[in-house]
Amino acid sequence: MGPLASDCLVRNTWVCPKYVRTRSSDLTAALTQHVELTTVSVLIGLAVALPLAVVARRLRLSSLLLGTATVVYTVPSLALFSLLVPFTGLSSTTVVIGLVLYSLTILLRNVLAGLDGVAADVREAARGMGFGRTRLLLRVELPLALPTIMAGLRVATVSTVALTTIGFLVGSGGLGNLIQDGLQSNFKAEVLTASVLCVLLAVVADLLLLVVQRVLTPWARSQS
Amino acid sequence: MRAKRMLSLVAALAAVVLLAAACGGDSNKLKTDNNGSGGGAGKHVVIGSAGFTEINLMAAMYQLLLEKAGYSTSIKVVANRELYEPALEKGQINVVPDYAATMAEFLNVKKNGPNAKPVSSNDKDQTVAALNKLAEPLGLKALDPAQAVDQNAFAATTANAKKNGANLSDWNGQKVVLAATPECPDRPFCQPGLKNTYGITVTKLLPLGFGTAQVKKALTDNKAQLGLVGTTDATLASMGLVIIKDDKGLQEADNLVPVVGKGFTSDTTMADTLNKLAGVLTTDDLAQMDKKVDGERQKPADVAKAYLQSKGLL
Amino acid sequence: MTSLVVPMSALGDAVSWLGDLSHWQGQNGIPILTYQILKLSFLALVIAAAIALPIALWLGHVGRGGALAINITNVGRAIPIYALMVVLAVGPLGLGQRVTVIALVLFGIPPIVTNTYVGVRGVDRDTVEAARGMGLTAWQVLWRVEVPLAFLLIMTGLRLAAVQILATATLGAYFLAGGLGFLIYDGFSRQDQAELVSGAFLVAALALLVEGLFELLQRRLDPVRRTDRAGGVSVPRV
Repeated sequence: MGPLASDCLVRNTWVCPKYVRTRSSDLTAALTQHVELTTVSVLIGLAVALPLAVVARRLRLSSLLLGTATVVYTVPSLALFSLLVPFTGLSSTTVVIGLVLYSLTILLRNVLAGLDGVAADVREAARGMGFGRTRLLLRVELPLALPTIMAGLRVATVSTVALTTIGFLVGSGGLGNLIQDGLQSNFKAEVLTASVLCVLLAVVADLLLLVVQRVLTPWARSQS
Repeated sequence: MRAKRMLSLVAALAAVVLLAAACGGDSNKLKTDNNGSGGGAGKHVVIGSAGFTEINLMAAMYQLLLEKAGYSTSIKVVANRELYEPALEKGQINVVPDYAATMAEFLNVKKNGPNAKPVSSNDKDQTVAALNKLAEPLGLKALDPAQAVDQNAFAATTANAKKNGANLSDWNGQKVVLAATPECPDRPFCQPGLKNTYGITVTKLLPLGFGTAQVKKALTDNKAQLGLVGTTDATLASMGLVIIKDDKGLQEADNLVPVVGKGFTSDTTMADTLNKLAGVLTTDDLAQMDKKVDGERQKPADVAKAYLQSKGLL
Repeated sequence: MTSLVVPMSALGDAVSWLGDLSHWQGQNGIPILTYQILKLSFLALVIAAAIALPIALWLGHVGRGGALAINITNVGRAIPIYALMVVLAVGPLGLGQRVTVIALVLFGIPPIVTNTYVGVRGVDRDTVEAARGMGLTAWQVLWRVEVPLAFLLIMTGLRLAAVQILATATLGAYFLAGGLGFLIYDGFSRQDQAELVSGAFLVAALALLVEGLFELLQRRLDPVRRTDRAGGVSVPRV
């Protein structure tokens, strides 16, 4: 033991301020990468989910789309990433593609649910006013589906924050890189600090989206 | 109003996506400028690392040495051999520190299927020769192996080591539960080796991996009596575990060796640079460095630098 | 070129892997692994429902605190599950089914809480008031009015939880809990693509089966005849 015995790094405690102090640049870099990967993946997921859901509804393929989404969702992330690597290589693109696929499964469900939830008489009224398909979609259906879509966006974001950690497989897992390193070398402070940051990140993202939701749907609040 | 808001949301989204796509390259590479002092001037080398302590240390040493030789470098962490070996072939990764026998058997299984006859032995040079025979057709090449070796080993609790003996041959006739990788029953050094070389019968295999937290937990809970770990694992002592000595030399020559990939197999500057390290690195050096990282929690890059300086290589 | 060929042949290999009778027998055979993952998942679903349903029904009934409950359970999804399992397994819980079931329960709770709460809150207030006016007690209002009307969303929550749990249960293989995740773990370790793909395929097929089963139950047991189909949300609506 000796002179270092009082050092929380050496004692390997779960909570260790010295860890945070000496590794602050690692933690910042990991957090930044985590935020980047999550944001890019969820935004691409949303950008794909919206048109996909709209098209699927027009072609009456919603059930097929949801079934496919379920299948993708159940593919374990370790297996999915290993299967993707031959196509996409070892860049962070692999992680983003995997995360987009997973976020799609959640987003699609909610976009479809939101659009389905628009009452038939509202649609009729809009058509009666001479709204075409596109105008109906943009000015009636999407705004009415917005609360459900935003809700899905929040779940997708939080889930993606968690899933990003698996990117450690190709060295692009943000905080997951630290968690994996800590698990492998029995470094408790590293595992706990990175895990807590991960959850905190999810809390902040969830609250931010809540604010966005309130701003975008001021009418929803006055109803409840 | 709503339509306008909707449109601006869509526009903002599109902008962000485009932006993301534009900077979608690898932002996590630690690019460094080269100082252009040696034969490697101008070339960029991507060093692969499997991401655990010992390999992180090796990768950090490769980085320091190669930069001194005039290369610019970056380290790419890839957790599994299944993922980084193909990247070596494609040139996405240029050099990776690996274990000679394990890599040889990996390529062997890849070429000849899961039941392939083993090509490695406990002889370092033979093993590296076998490795190179398999590596060459793939465009890979192993450089000189170091003296330093981190072999597969079987750990037990200190209590069980006291009871059954400190050498594996003392365990002759024992029936044990073994915590190891799922493929252990197929690997000559693993379950069959315990039976044939040491007369130890594995009654049950717990598929918990190689040196994972789960393997160690199974041992401390006495759910397993032997567990598969690495000989330089610096976390064992703090958990009340010891390695039972492989006194009959069952284990293969898992010496640390740089495996070079596409585009660098005939790069003599790189070979000379990394071979210098192979010439000095001993198992004890490696174990000491592992201990500094996993016990004292120093940073791998700092430990690597201090070691290379102490050997006059920097 | 080659990168396209490899996974396609892996699919073919997976088909013949699944056709090999020896993979359907013994301790690590498909039937036993399927039984193990179903047992783990069922146990986790029952416990998750036992925790989440009463809380969400009550919160929905009184109409307060739901936002907070949904936020908390939602953020719970961000816990790095594998790390949590390692920490729990290395700690007091030990390796085995216990640690796996507890982790799965944690992941099953959010969709149940969210959908149940949203479902009960979404019941027409006039209907509830009318029921009260008829002299129904709070308990009767909940059981006879709110639960039947929220039934579709409650079932949706359970269905989403079931799929989520089943998908996550593959991690049990790394903690001595067995299950179909073993094929993925084993296939990965042995470089056996066919086994890995077969494992992933079986889990996905099982999840679809469970979804179908819930869909059927949902239709059979629905206490209210409906004309419109409820989509179901996986989500907070705060």
